[in-house]
Amino acid sequence: MEFKGEYRIAAPQQKVWEALNDPVILQACIPGCETLEKTADNELKAQVRMRIGPVSAKFGGKVTLSDIDAPNGYRISGEGQGGPAGFAKGGAVVTLRTDGAETILNYVADAQVGGKIAQVGARLIDGTAKKLADEFFGKFAEVVGTPEVVEQSSVAAATSASAPSVPPTDFAKRGLQHWMVIGAGALILIVAWLSMR
Amino acid sequence: MSNVSKIGDRVHRKEDRRFLTGTGRYVDDLQLSRCTHAHFLRSPHAHARIKGIDTSKAAASAGVVAVFTGKDTADAKVGGLICGWVVKDKHGVPHKAPGHPAIALDTVRHVGDTVAMVIADTAANARDAADKIEVDYEVLPAIVDLTKALSAGAPQVHSDVPGNLCYDWELGDKAAVDAAFAKAAHVTKIDVVNNRLIPNAMEPRAAAAEYDRGTGNYTLHTTSQNPHVTRLVLSAFVLGIPEHKLRVIAPDVGGGFGSKIFIYAEETLCVWAAGKVGRSIKWTADRSESFMTDAHGRDHVTHAEIAMDKDGKFTGFRIDTIANMGAYLSTFATAVPTYLYGTLLAGQYTTPAIHVNVRAAFTHTTPVDAYRGAGRPEATYLVESIVSKAAREIGVDPAELRKRNFIAPTAFPYQTPVALTYDSGNYVPIIDEAMKLSDYAGFGARQSAAKAKGKLRGIGISSYIEACGLAPSAVVGSLGAGVGQWESAQLRFNPTGNVQVLTGSHSHGQGHETTFAQIVSDKLGVPMDQIEVVHGDTSQVPFGMGTYGSRSLAVGGSAIMKAADKIIAKGKKIAAHLMEAAEADIVFENGTFKVSGTDKNVPLAQAVFAAYVPHNYPIDKVEPGMDENAFYDPSNFTYPSGTQICEVEIDPDTGVVEIVHFVAVDDFGNIVNPMVVEGQVHGGIAQGVGQALMEAAAYDNATGQLLSGSYMDYTMPRADDLPSFTLGYKTTPCPHNPLGVKGCGEAGAIAAPAAVMNAVRDALAQVGAQDRIEMPATPQRVWAAINAR
Amino acid sequence: MYDFAYHKPKSVADAAAAVKKASDGKLMSGGMTLIPTLKQRLAHPSDVVDLAGVSDLVGIKVDATGVTIGAMTKHADVASSADVARAIPALAALAGGIGDRQVRNRGTIGGSVANNDPAADYPAALVALGATVTTNERKIAAEDFFKGMFETALKDGEIVTSVSFPTATKAAYMKFPNPASRYAMVGVFVAQTASGPRVAVTGAGPAVFRVKAMEEALAKSWSADAVANVKVPAEGLNSDIHASAEYRAHLVTVMAKRAVAAAG
Repeated sequence: MEFKGEYRIAAPQQKVWEALNDPVILQACIPGCETLEKTADNELKAQVRMRIGPVSAKFGGKVTLSDIDAPNGYRISGEGQGGPAGFAKGGAVVTLRTDGAETILNYVADAQVGGKIAQVGARLIDGTAKKLADEFFGKFAEVVGTPEVVEQSSVAAATSASAPSVPPTDFAKRGLQHWMVIGAGALILIVAWLSMR
Repeated sequence: MSNVSKIGDRVHRKEDRRFLTGTGRYVDDLQLSRCTHAHFLRSPHAHARIKGIDTSKAAASAGVVAVFTGKDTADAKVGGLICGWVVKDKHGVPHKAPGHPAIALDTVRHVGDTVAMVIADTAANARDAADKIEVDYEVLPAIVDLTKALSAGAPQVHSDVPGNLCYDWELGDKAAVDAAFAKAAHVTKIDVVNNRLIPNAMEPRAAAAEYDRGTGNYTLHTTSQNPHVTRLVLSAFVLGIPEHKLRVIAPDVGGGFGSKIFIYAEETLCVWAAGKVGRSIKWTADRSESFMTDAHGRDHVTHAEIAMDKDGKFTGFRIDTIANMGAYLSTFATAVPTYLYGTLLAGQYTTPAIHVNVRAAFTHTTPVDAYRGAGRPEATYLVESIVSKAAREIGVDPAELRKRNFIAPTAFPYQTPVALTYDSGNYVPIIDEAMKLSDYAGFGARQSAAKAKGKLRGIGISSYIEACGLAPSAVVGSLGAGVGQWESAQLRFNPTGNVQVLTGSHSHGQGHETTFAQIVSDKLGVPMDQIEVVHGDTSQVPFGMGTYGSRSLAVGGSAIMKAADKIIAKGKKIAAHLMEAAEADIVFENGTFKVSGTDKNVPLAQAVFAAYVPHNYPIDKVEPGMDENAFYDPSNFTYPSGTQICEVEIDPDTGVVEIVHFVAVDDFGNIVNPMVVEGQVHGGIAQGVGQALMEAAAYDNATGQLLSGSYMDYTMPRADDLPSFTLGYKTTPCPHNPLGVKGCGEAGAIAAPAAVMNAVRDALAQVGAQDRIEMPATPQRVWAAINAR
Repeated sequence: MYDFAYHKPKSVADAAAAVKKASDGKLMSGGMTLIPTLKQRLAHPSDVVDLAGVSDLVGIKVDATGVTIGAMTKHADVASSADVARAIPALAALAGGIGDRQVRNRGTIGGSVANNDPAADYPAALVALGATVTTNERKIAAEDFFKGMFETALKDGEIVTSVSFPTATKAAYMKFPNPASRYAMVGVFVAQTASGPRVAVTGAGPAVFRVKAMEEALAKSWSADAVANVKVPAEGLNSDIHASAEYRAHLVTVMAKRAVAAAG
């Protein structure tokens, strides 16, 4: 699966960039993240306990930052092992640009899962990724600035006045905001992991 | 006599009482003393290098007896798993046979590849320990897309198989085909995908291995369709245990469909490890393991073209197929897309020139091998799809086009341009009967009525031929088979007159205990309840080749007939002595020896008793005892044929395909038990419908992950997906076996995919979508085909 | 399956206490999702608290205003209840179409709603009929109860005790089953309720949702034609090997149309 999106954050680019590189902020934003520590300049180690429905598991992963172009963006990638459940890995190219006093965050992310979770949970992989991305986004926005959605084809379609119908529950609205990534590759890994019922 | 059955009687299956009351005895039911349990650690990656394995935590885990990795089996010189059929390519070069270690050495090549074996006192402890094994994988790019496997730059599955090409094989006269196309009045072209299937036997594979330190004897209880072949391969090629020191027992086995022909890593390792640790070892696959490691079936992509003259007579047929072998060669993998596929591409037709090119490719997927029909469903799907497409293109009714091209009943034996010699058949009466039973003539009205309520109705024909009753040993030997394909039988009478029928065939759902007993009952007049069919134990039954390729009745049944003839011949000598008559005057009727033209008689049971208590006995002419052995090697394949007609109704709003009527008319030669035959045909059709509409092993192209790894995502056909089938028979007895039988086990699965898909295409033709659909025609795909712009 | 401590309390209070006391406790009702998950080793709870011994949670009560179903009532019992069939026939029909015979004889309404599988059937009925979920602590309106994929308003250790459905003048559920699992690939429950028409969709999105545009169309005219041209955007809907988001979006309209027709 691949996700991309754009997000406007009401904070200066430097601040957003720092947040993207701040293990404390990332840990606070990654759902279920128990530890996130820097092990080298561009490497972090994550421990995450994830729960989706009846599935609950501890997930250990390694996150690597590369193609660093401060403060304009980086590639964040990672992989993690979920024991007998399999593995997950993924990455995202995150780019930032300044727009007035605010920052536009773009990302293109992909995530892969393997082993048992891919074999028995295929139907939930995408949905789980969206859900986690949404959760991460919400928190990241809270911490870094006041978010404002600008451009998402899905939202455009779903909220356009001319659209005849919308899945309109609060949840469904949130569900539509699936773009945001995972500032932390660890999350991408985890995303997949969650795909069990 | 009470309950003597005749060939042709609808006898209830003797074995069903046991199966339906839960008293069948399967491998996992065995209770062995001091038994340990195995668990196999599986690769979660489609392709990865194993940089290191740390088994120390597993070895220290509770209850663990041993942990083995590929290094251990290599150090112990455990042989690799073999492919038993050598296919030679266009240039006479044998296929590429890369190593297939039972436990991966330094590279894993498909999700589910074996990485380590853990043996512990309980299955749960073994699994706990396996979770503690740490494997350092370097994940490598994987290739699972068959259409790209042979392309330059595709990830390589084996370093010693350049370009992933296992072989490039051909059959037929290319020049003659090219000439036919040069003169063709019309050419029809088609591209088809034959979807990969997962066998889904009800009972997962299992093994229970014992080692007797006193005698040095090994015993393997396993879910096998051919225990002697398993023993032969393990002895001669893999483990080096002398054949007489290895006993293989396949007790009740819950289905196989081909997947239990093969010799797999797990069963092999259980035998080896039992000797190594000196304890019994048991393993039963869980369903996830079945999905990942049972050999899959089908998986072809094909482009084909057929040339016709102005009258719609087929003049040439060219076929280019890529067949998926998976990551390693399974036991008979190479033969399936060649000798079981290419040779069947004449179908029921007189096409004079045929050329087929098959390239077999390795991919990072579960190995592919024979699955119900094996090659013949792929051939039938292709032939019958292109014939119906041709009929549509030239504006001829598809039934009519078939009849124009059928081999005439007077032309048998018929030599096809693709090696086989069909022994018998009469195809027009079959298709006529199928058309009658399906009210083919009334279809137009039904289609209009459906249209009026917004539904798309279609009708599809599939006229199949199969070569089964495998097989004349000399023929398959010349084609590269590593074994003969005769069958054995032994009729062992007991002094009290009842009889054990020992057969080298194996029953895992086919009903041999009934059908074979019926043959003996009919032939020898012995009541059904006095007959016991024994199979599946190499220490009880004579060496036999097992059950696959619709061979049990045609080959195994014929061996029983030969043994029965020997019983009668011996009994005549005994009866002649007892009745003080000349042997030449003795006739055998209804279980009794009679002196021709008199009322003097000796029932068989009396002759049997005399043979075991030879007080008054022609001991100078005949040995005591009544126990006869026979081996039967067929002189040809058998060629069941038939026509299926399927009628579907598509809901264009949802894409759902409903099968509203399904007719199958078959020529199976003589029929021993119509009820058993119906069961086989019903099951076969259900599997064929499954392939056409539902089943597909889905791999993620990027990662090689198996996405349809459970019943959440792998769609099995269910009773409510199917209509009641209408069956009919037209019989031309097989001319070369004593029963005149042809075999019925695979026909349904061979013919049904084309019948269903031709019906689907016929329905979709009303909206111009007939060329936009592939198997499985799931609701989503049908809806997308209808709505493609 | 990993080891865990097993509890089978006889009362809701004891069950709540047991799960609260556990370091990582899990409630089990019918076990139709939990047991396979445990067998796959995808969860490792310290304690499993089985509600099967809490007899108070079983039963169906029907009165003039609606139907109240105890949380541990099995789908088969709802499906075969003459009272439910009289009061809200669509609800009985929905229960009779869940999973297969085995699942219907083990699975419970409480388990289904607490689990909130995105493809479960019951959530559509709860939201369309405007049901109320009662727990050992409070009452929660269905729409506030289902929060997202496998997410509900339930707090840790909170136990669903019953679900109350008000009657509707018209109602029907139409499910397009996943061909493999037979979960709802798309399920649409339509109801003419006291507060107007409601259309709730399961299986299509990450969780049950209402389609306001269809409800508005039905408010103007209760007919299949009224919803036939109301399209649902594919964005945000589920996508897997069986059905793309576009196909699911299309099926929502088809199933809604059929549900309205079936409701009469």
